[in-house]
Amino acid sequence: MRKLLRHGIQWLNPGANPLWFGLFFALVSPAFAVTFTASLDRTSIVLGEQVILSLTFDGAQPTEIYNPRFDGLQAVSGLSSSTRMVVTPESQSTVYTYTIALEPVHAGQLVIPPISAKVNGQVMSSQPLTLRVAAVDPSTMPPAEYADKMAFLWVVLPKTNLYVNEPMVAEFRIYLRSDVRRIDNPQQFSPEGSGLTFGPLVQGQRYSRRVGNANFTVMPLSVAITPVKSGTLSINPMNASIVLNNRDLMESIWGDSSRPVQAPLTSPRLDLQVSPLPTANVPPGFTGAVGSYTMAVTAGPTNVVAGDPITLRIQISGHGALDSIALPDASGWDNFKAYPPTAKVNATDQLGIEGSKTFEEIVTPQNSDIKALPAIAFSFFDPEQKKYRTLTQPATPLVVRAANPGSMPAVAGTTPAENPKPTADVIPIRQHLGMVAPLKPPLIQQPWFLALQGVPVFALLSSVIWRKRKENLANNPRLRRRRQVAQLVREGLEELRSLASQNKSDEFFATLFRLLQEQLGERLDLPATAITEAVIDERLRPRGVPEEMLASLHELFQTCNLARYAPIQSSQELAAIVPKLDNVLNELRELTV
Amino acid sequence: MNPRTHMQTVLSLALFMALTVSGLAQDISATFDSANKLYGQGKFSEAVAAYEKMIQSGTVSPAIYFNLGNAYFKSGQLGRAIASFREAENLTPRDPDVRANLQFIRARVQGPTVSPAPWQRWFAALTVNEWAMLTAVALWIWLAAAVLIQFRPALKQSVRALLWCGGVATLVCGGCMGAAWSGESTKTAIVIKSDAAVHNGPLDEAPTGVTVHDGAELTVLDTKNDWLQVRVDNQRVGWLKREQVVLAQGA
Repeated sequence: MRKLLRHGIQWLNPGANPLWFGLFFALVSPAFAVTFTASLDRTSIVLGEQVILSLTFDGAQPTEIYNPRFDGLQAVSGLSSSTRMVVTPESQSTVYTYTIALEPVHAGQLVIPPISAKVNGQVMSSQPLTLRVAAVDPSTMPPAEYADKMAFLWVVLPKTNLYVNEPMVAEFRIYLRSDVRRIDNPQQFSPEGSGLTFGPLVQGQRYSRRVGNANFTVMPLSVAITPVKSGTLSINPMNASIVLNNRDLMESIWGDSSRPVQAPLTSPRLDLQVSPLPTANVPPGFTGAVGSYTMAVTAGPTNVVAGDPITLRIQISGHGALDSIALPDASGWDNFKAYPPTAKVNATDQLGIEGSKTFEEIVTPQNSDIKALPAIAFSFFDPEQKKYRTLTQPATPLVVRAANPGSMPAVAGTTPAENPKPTADVIPIRQHLGMVAPLKPPLIQQPWFLALQGVPVFALLSSVIWRKRKENLANNPRLRRRRQVAQLVREGLEELRSLASQNKSDEFFATLFRLLQEQLGERLDLPATAITEAVIDERLRPRGVPEEMLASLHELFQTCNLARYAPIQSSQELAAIVPKLDNVLNELRELTV
Repeated sequence: MNPRTHMQTVLSLALFMALTVSGLAQDISATFDSANKLYGQGKFSEAVAAYEKMIQSGTVSPAIYFNLGNAYFKSGQLGRAIASFREAENLTPRDPDVRANLQFIRARVQGPTVSPAPWQRWFAALTVNEWAMLTAVALWIWLAAAVLIQFRPALKQSVRALLWCGGVATLVCGGCMGAAWSGESTKTAIVIKSDAAVHNGPLDEAPTGVTVHDGAELTVLDTKNDWLQVRVDNQRVGWLKREQVVLAQGA
């Protein structure tokens, strides 16, 4: 295999005859959904620099790689391979990567054509790759006096004049002198600047460079920078650092006395001149895309019944701010119902500015008179050519048959009321005003409505309290009797006043006696009929009832007894007894026995 | 004041109020008729102004919004027409004429627009007030059954089913009311310019992504000064100037 690889690398030299460049492997992975992509670690370099080409096979190992043509490039390293497992919650796969370092032999835009490989008996091709090679620019090379530094940061901008929304890949190169044995991870820095958007920082393959009379290893960090407004915009100065020659365990054991060094990584403010897009000759359907693109459109099926869905897939591929590409203008689609499209960005580089954006839209022809899908045009501004370009896909012929009313597909969950029949014009205006109401907030924001809902809640709470009290009363006979007696006393006192006014002496005293019996019986927990005057001394006095009350009770009992023998008393005399009785009963109620 | 004088005062006041209300109703009806007449004469812009004036006076009616929507449509303003029909739909969500006109106009809108989800359409079948009334009725039935049990425990077995149904109905209706209220609280931006560029940020200088057209309905996600962040579709979010849209309640 090594021999074959060497042979292949020799073939990479320009001018060599195209030969089979093969890789043969004993094992072939099981057939899954295999993907094959080719990528460069950088898309823009300076003549004399190297670029790493990676061929990545996700899901299976290739058995052969055919005819890779690298016009304008020469291989400067052997082909190396690596394998890694990618495990996600949904799946796991093995990724086989083959890399080779290439160096351009001249400046300009170099295109690496699609590379074919045989995987699982199937021939797969990668997408073409574009590499921009700038001629050696002294401004991109560090000055010779930097050879004294152990490490430094050097920023390379491929250009400083840009258009709004034109992405540019800036490279932040960390130069490490050859006597640097080891480094700690450089302090994380993120470039910033007003009016500029920065993509993720991507670390490229290291390579060697000579500065002055010293050799350096270069660690390139690339970032895509896109200006969002015109004018003079700046990349802010950077102040980071890196630790060099930190001691490892073995050096500590052997007593190496060298000390780690912290080297600054700084860069000055870098200005960019950003021009607005030209206002002349702007295509009608231009939606702001800037870059260099191609368009591929597919649609299917093309033989349908009116109302049937057609899937329209528009793929915009190329170099530029893929995220901001909008669906091409959809004018001329009046006879189609279009559903909201989906869009998917598939970046082929880590910086996110090379790749494709695919829009998928479902459209349904509304009548059988339609003969074609309208032409699709996509316009963008090409900053290299400094002009607008429009890509056009001609109209796609369609065969649309009239729908049979009986066989119209019904949309699940919809009713005729939800989907009224299409009409030729709007339904005419209303002639009657109908229901008129002042503008009001909804009911749930109106206090009266909320308060009204409190009524049943209040009723429920009241009824629960009422029931609890009722149950409590049912389980407490003394309490029940106390309440009954209190009611009886209230009514009895009224009756006494009435009897006094009517001068009904017998009934008056009978009632009075009964009230005394009921109240005392309740207090002493005895039957009312068991209460006589003797109870006062037998039951109340031992319980420490005040003498005044005892005397009053005696007096009332004796008055009742006397009345049996001398019943005639005046109304005033009878009425005068009622307050006395009331006082005594009140005191009795408060008595704790 | 003797009772007779008191009664006379009350009657006079009631008569005055009845006449006032009747007079106002006649005024509104006359204004409506004159706006309709302008519409019938093809003076759609004048009809729009007349209907708008009625709404600004604080009087709303599904018929006013319906006719206003038609007048806007006839004057070529799809976005404002959709906004008016949406107002009419909020008042009478099951009116087939409103839905037909709304669908008719929406079919003429170019470019991306956001359609309400099926569940949002389901909740919108009733107004928030209708959901609130249903919830209130269910609540009253539920609590009435609970109160009845307090007074007549013997009926507990008979009322048990009603109690459960009332409770479940209250929760379901209350949930639907909440969902409908939440949906109505969502703001939708309806584009009223023929072409409105959606910017990547709330700045005039920010690059534009997609262009939306008159009548496009976009969900509002955020606001910043005079800019609205809108969802164009499942993939794209951007910023539109406030002056390029009218805001409507509901998804």
